[in-house]
Amino acid sequence: MIRPFDHTLYRKVLVMLLAGGKGERLYPLTRDRAKPAVPFGGVYRIIDFTLSNCINSGLRKICVLTQYKSYSLDRHLRVGWNIFNSELDEFIENIPPQKRTSEMWYLGTSDAVYQNIYVLERERPEMVLILAGDHIYKMDYSELINYHILNKADLTVPCIEAPLEDASRFGVVGVDNNSRIIDFDEKPLNPKPLPTNKNVALVSMGIYLFNTEVLVRRIIENAKNDTNRDFGKNIIPTMIQKDRVLSFVFNGNGHSTANYWRDIGTLDAYWEANIDLVKKNPDFDLFDDTWPIRTYNKQYPPAKYSFENEKNGMIKDALISNGCLINDASIGKSIISPNVTIGSESSVMGSIIMEGVRIGKNVKIKNAIIDKHVTIPDGMKIGYDLQNDGKQFTVTEKGVVVAHKEMHLI
Amino acid sequence: MDTILLVEDDKNQILLYEQELAIEGYKVVTATNGIEAIENARYFKPDLVVMDINMPMMDGIESMCRILSEHKNIPIVINTAYSNYQNNFMSWSADAYIVKSSDLKELKDKIKELLNKRKKNDNDKTV
Repeated sequence: MIRPFDHTLYRKVLVMLLAGGKGERLYPLTRDRAKPAVPFGGVYRIIDFTLSNCINSGLRKICVLTQYKSYSLDRHLRVGWNIFNSELDEFIENIPPQKRTSEMWYLGTSDAVYQNIYVLERERPEMVLILAGDHIYKMDYSELINYHILNKADLTVPCIEAPLEDASRFGVVGVDNNSRIIDFDEKPLNPKPLPTNKNVALVSMGIYLFNTEVLVRRIIENAKNDTNRDFGKNIIPTMIQKDRVLSFVFNGNGHSTANYWRDIGTLDAYWEANIDLVKKNPDFDLFDDTWPIRTYNKQYPPAKYSFENEKNGMIKDALISNGCLINDASIGKSIISPNVTIGSESSVMGSIIMEGVRIGKNVKIKNAIIDKHVTIPDGMKIGYDLQNDGKQFTVTEKGVVVAHKEMHLI
Repeated sequence: MDTILLVEDDKNQILLYEQELAIEGYKVVTATNGIEAIENARYFKPDLVVMDINMPMMDGIESMCRILSEHKNIPIVINTAYSNYQNNFMSWSADAYIVKSSDLKELKDKIKELLNKRKKNDNDKTV
């Protein structure tokens, strides 16, 4: 779709990208890194999807609010996203807690913004777009911004329809006929379905577009009166009573199948979202040239496959990155990140293999996530005997076996 | 008797405010910079703070935020010679913003109003 491009848009909106969560449910992938820095889809990190959305939507003023284990994320932003031109007033800034207002770390999502009111003060944007660093989706934020302006909202909350059984993981939204939010329940035990469809509920995507002044007033009030500092739990429920809070139903903007949006909450969800990419017609298409996803890529030679014996090797439904050396091995339904070697007569099925992994000869891997720089010795089997795997690996509810970064295996 | 923490770096003004507020029936404790204000707020647990902005060591806005992070709901009145800090987002954390004048009526009225409001809120909570 061709749309009028407002070249002044990016000057009016400041993005605050929340990247400070612990990501405990993705452990051990978050053992050494923040959740937004967890690798995804072979060459990307989870945060690349949200940052690419910003770039593709024309937004160029981005503050990434970091906290836990931020080294890996910092480095990724520095080497991979150092593409902004300060002379054009563009930036991406990494902001850890600065203790400007208290001696505390970020106490919650809204506190992360409260502690950085100074940044809003300096930039004086008209609007602030609060994003999360752990979602996978393609969204044109300029459509959201236009909607927000046209409808004179104080706050606009992008929403998506979710199956009723999943809805209690999110903020469940009730709206009137004019899309005004009249009900907001964060993670309710019994989510209310849509009046028009009993099987789905309208849920918040956990991202928010605020008019700056309203945002500042409400987070200051919250900081003064409440001990909890969360947009979903505290700020939004208060705001729907006194401000104009609208919902914006996300429809994928024509960029992805059936309004694809994933909150990578668990290891199983992570595995599924990755493996989905290798399908012939994936729900989330990396090869969509209208919506490029960018990242940092280290220079490696092209992937090399050598099959001496045709019977031994076969590759079906896989993403294979640069720098891989694959000898007489079989790969199916898997993601192979850069600089991975797979020895002869080995097989990798339904697995995510991260950068720098060395897989020996005659290794069998099934339904596994192997984090960076793990060396798997000849003849080892992973994913075929979950009870045994559980002794040294993490095994998820759905039976995915996870080896943590630089794990030593014998 | 309500205790007011008066944060002000000018000695003559401290004398003036101390006298005037004592006449109104308040106990007045003082601090002469932002850091001392944080310490004295911890020590005296005042019912209200009157805060200057331009001070040595730490300014009144940072001091106010830090006091609020430790003592929720404490009313804070910014009392400054400058009107332009009102545009400063962090100054919105204050319950009132008063531009200094030789007539202290506005300040006294505000203090009374905020203390009454606070008592009413406390009563509502206990009821």
